[in-house]
Amino acid sequence: MRNALRFAGLAVVSLLVTISGGCAPTPPAFFRLNMVEATSPSAEKDSISAEIALTAEQQRQVATILTAMFGSPDKPECLPETGLDSAKLILAAGPVRSDIVGRKNGLYREHCVHCHGITGDGLGPTAAFLNPYPRDYRPGVFKFKSTERSSKPTHADLVRVLHTGVAGSSMPSFALLSAGEVDALVEYVKYLSIRGETEIALMQYFFELDDEDEGKLAETRDFLVGEILEPIAGKWASAEEELIEVPEMPADIDLAASIAKGRELFHGDKANCVKCHGVTALGDGQANDYDDWNKNIVKIETKLAALAVGDADANERRWAAEFREVLAGDALRPRTIPPRNLRHGIYRGGRRPLDIYYRIHAGINGAPMPAAKGTVPPEDIWHIVNYVRSLPYDFDGELGADRAVAVQPSSVGGLVVSKASTASEEN
Amino acid sequence: MKRLSGMFWALLFLAVPVLGVATFAVAPSINVWLPKDVSAHGHEIDSLFYFILALTGVVFVATEVALFWFMWKYDAAARQGEKATYIHGSHTLEVVWTIIPAATLLFLAIYQMNAWANVKMRRPDMPPTVEVVGRQFEWRLRYPGGDGLLGTPDDLHLVNDLHLPVDEQVLVQLKSMDVLHSFFLPNLRIKQDAVPGMKIPVWFQGTETGSWDIVCAELCGWGHYKMKGRITFVTRPEFDAWLKRKTAEQNATQPVAEASAEIVAN
Amino acid sequence: MTKQGWTMSRSSTGLLLLAAVLSVVGSGCGSGRVAGPEPDLAAAEKLREVLTAGEVAGETNVVAAATGTGWATLKGRFVFAGTPGDKRPLVVDKDMAVCSKDGLKLYDESLRVDPATKGLADVVLFVRKASRVKNPVSTDPLVFDQKNCEFLAPVFAARVGQPVDVRNSDPIGHNTNISGSSFNQLIPSGEATVYTPNAETGMPVSVTCNIHPWMKAYAVFRKDGYVAVSLVDGSFAIPDLPAGEPLEFQVWHARSAGGLKLDQPALQWSPKGRFQVTLQPDEVKDLGTLEVPAAALGG
Repeated sequence: MRNALRFAGLAVVSLLVTISGGCAPTPPAFFRLNMVEATSPSAEKDSISAEIALTAEQQRQVATILTAMFGSPDKPECLPETGLDSAKLILAAGPVRSDIVGRKNGLYREHCVHCHGITGDGLGPTAAFLNPYPRDYRPGVFKFKSTERSSKPTHADLVRVLHTGVAGSSMPSFALLSAGEVDALVEYVKYLSIRGETEIALMQYFFELDDEDEGKLAETRDFLVGEILEPIAGKWASAEEELIEVPEMPADIDLAASIAKGRELFHGDKANCVKCHGVTALGDGQANDYDDWNKNIVKIETKLAALAVGDADANERRWAAEFREVLAGDALRPRTIPPRNLRHGIYRGGRRPLDIYYRIHAGINGAPMPAAKGTVPPEDIWHIVNYVRSLPYDFDGELGADRAVAVQPSSVGGLVVSKASTASEEN
Repeated sequence: MKRLSGMFWALLFLAVPVLGVATFAVAPSINVWLPKDVSAHGHEIDSLFYFILALTGVVFVATEVALFWFMWKYDAAARQGEKATYIHGSHTLEVVWTIIPAATLLFLAIYQMNAWANVKMRRPDMPPTVEVVGRQFEWRLRYPGGDGLLGTPDDLHLVNDLHLPVDEQVLVQLKSMDVLHSFFLPNLRIKQDAVPGMKIPVWFQGTETGSWDIVCAELCGWGHYKMKGRITFVTRPEFDAWLKRKTAEQNATQPVAEASAEIVAN
Repeated sequence: MTKQGWTMSRSSTGLLLLAAVLSVVGSGCGSGRVAGPEPDLAAAEKLREVLTAGEVAGETNVVAAATGTGWATLKGRFVFAGTPGDKRPLVVDKDMAVCSKDGLKLYDESLRVDPATKGLADVVLFVRKASRVKNPVSTDPLVFDQKNCEFLAPVFAARVGQPVDVRNSDPIGHNTNISGSSFNQLIPSGEATVYTPNAETGMPVSVTCNIHPWMKAYAVFRKDGYVAVSLVDGSFAIPDLPAGEPLEFQVWHARSAGGLKLDQPALQWSPKGRFQVTLQPDEVKDLGTLEVPAAALGG
């Protein structure tokens, strides 16, 4: 009996010790400041230096202004100028819980946070393991939309992305959520994006201050709402008017002829597709460009590396050391963006002919893919679309005809001829 | 008071069969039981389950009660001064209680062969109705399209939202794009690992319209818990209409006016 | 009893050790991210009231309109005080038939110093805020061309609303990507496209080609059009500036980070690369030779 008591006592003590180590009360969620931007607040990441970096006081001011304008992850606020629906934001924000009528709240935290981060910075806990990286909403740039290149996506565009997911990436399809839940999530994404763009605009405005402002932003409605917020919100509001006009593809189109014409255009020098996508459309024409999110980090890292070998003063070196610390936590290792392998039949922005038309017409905002608008007439874009859509099912002829056979020395001596890898019938 | 020691431990061990049986008795009423079976072959599997449950349940209760009885009756504190009898064991007893369970298990193994063969071995001779590819962390679906062949330009590609005709035998071609997944349909008593590099046929027949769960039953990474899909059985005309509508959407060359509502309302 | 006691304490030690390890592991590892400063919540509350209150009578940032008349010109010349090192060769790995034709080598043109006059080219000056503008936006397109796989103008300036004729005089296709504007357009060989900037850049933004990633230029767009780029000999001139008001100029060079800092106390040259002048009507103010030390272009 005594032994039993001893054993039980021991078990209880060890359990308590284990639990107390790991179960501290969770601190409330908080938005993180865009530290990379705060350390290099410039539109051009080539021209950054210690002088333009924000001081701690200035960072605090930005954080305070953002809290005033946008609230916190648990309690979002939105000024009417943003054009956002605060009821939807409440549904999406905060911890996962049910509200008084039994509806699920905290949708963003349930579905999105672990990749996209609580601040929408694409730096959630799982982000580093993904290829491609999850979207960072803060620059306000979105790739897959039905609007012109420089415009924002429409509400329907973002709903579509949530509904179909992004094939070929880790972004899943949320088709199983209800329409109301998807709407709430889209609204919250827009909220995070507007907040991120406001943050960047505020940080970059410090350079525009005159000396008499003493390095402090004016905390007035005219400035914060009129000069900073309204242009950003205005771009989102005008997205519906900037849709790409898509002419009809003729219903009686001769598909084989269209594909042949598309192939000519693909290889031609009007559209220049092969320059990046390669003559066999395997995406091997180029391997050294970056998308905008990664390009900024590459520019910063180049700048820091140049500082290390040049003769920088103590201030610059301290700033560089601080920046390296910031990058270690707040930036993912930059990755090049390879041009799409069109033979896979996996299209990130959607596989409808319409989606591929959008990609060719406006290019992909944030990525190196340029716009063919104005240079390639719409009927020709349709021919290229038909050609591209035929590529995954094109098993003979093309690869043999176009591809210069890669010749490699084999270890045995003599030469080994290797064929280009093709997409198997399983995509 | 010395008696209490034996009582305590014997009663503690008696709690095991008592609580065990109690939880089983209560479970169905608190919805912790087999999910609703909407498949043609499910009743065969469920009957096997109940048969084995009954068999093992009886043996379980019997052995546990015997354990309790011996602990209670031969408690050292109650039988002070009594010396235990030293025996070499009973060879007969050992043979009996080896042969009987072995025979039972052999019986079960042969008894269930038919059920297993129906689900895993007697593949119907038909082309695949749909190809399901497990991928971290979603179920990618591919319907053959008008020409009936998979891997042609008219295939319909969807994610997570599996529609099938009710009361018809369907054949799913199961693949994996990256790691091991497991295609688990709880309401159809179907579970099949998706093995990378293999094309595995899975066949079943739904008996009731409605939407049921597809879950992943093989740990495949950090998103394994949310790798959920939905399988919906509809009548054949509804199914054909749905296929046609989805294929037309996939071939869209013009933006849809009410895009938001349209694409979300399946 | 002693033997049993000893066994008991060994297993209990083991258990305690296990519990200790588990509690350390259970407390989790830190995330290693640099956290920014915490916001001042009380101040945020007050500010939110201000922002949601509608029109507020308070300090507005309106600069009193300067009352001057007449127009003036500002000119000067930048010279590089130092010896420019050898230009860095660019890595050309695409379309070599054109871009490396006949041994053509391409170099980083971000520092262009005229060997004869030591003039520093491609320095950008613009007025930060002007109260009045003399000329309306010109509809004559500004030509921005590319040939031999490089942009012919390392830096160009245009006015918001002025059409920029982006040309491609190469036998191969290019695309021109003006960062910040989301303008990224294919330009086939021998063709051109028109870009009309609709927003002003703060500081100049980079212009690149994605097909040929070594190509780089800079563009600056200003609403009032009071912007100049120094020529090969380092000289610049901005005509028709509003006279009678203090004009603050921002100076920039591709190699200087965040504004070109010169040592010109007479002009009150600020560390952000700015200086102020007030011009008289019909004055042609010559700032003379402005020396740019090598250190200012180190970054």
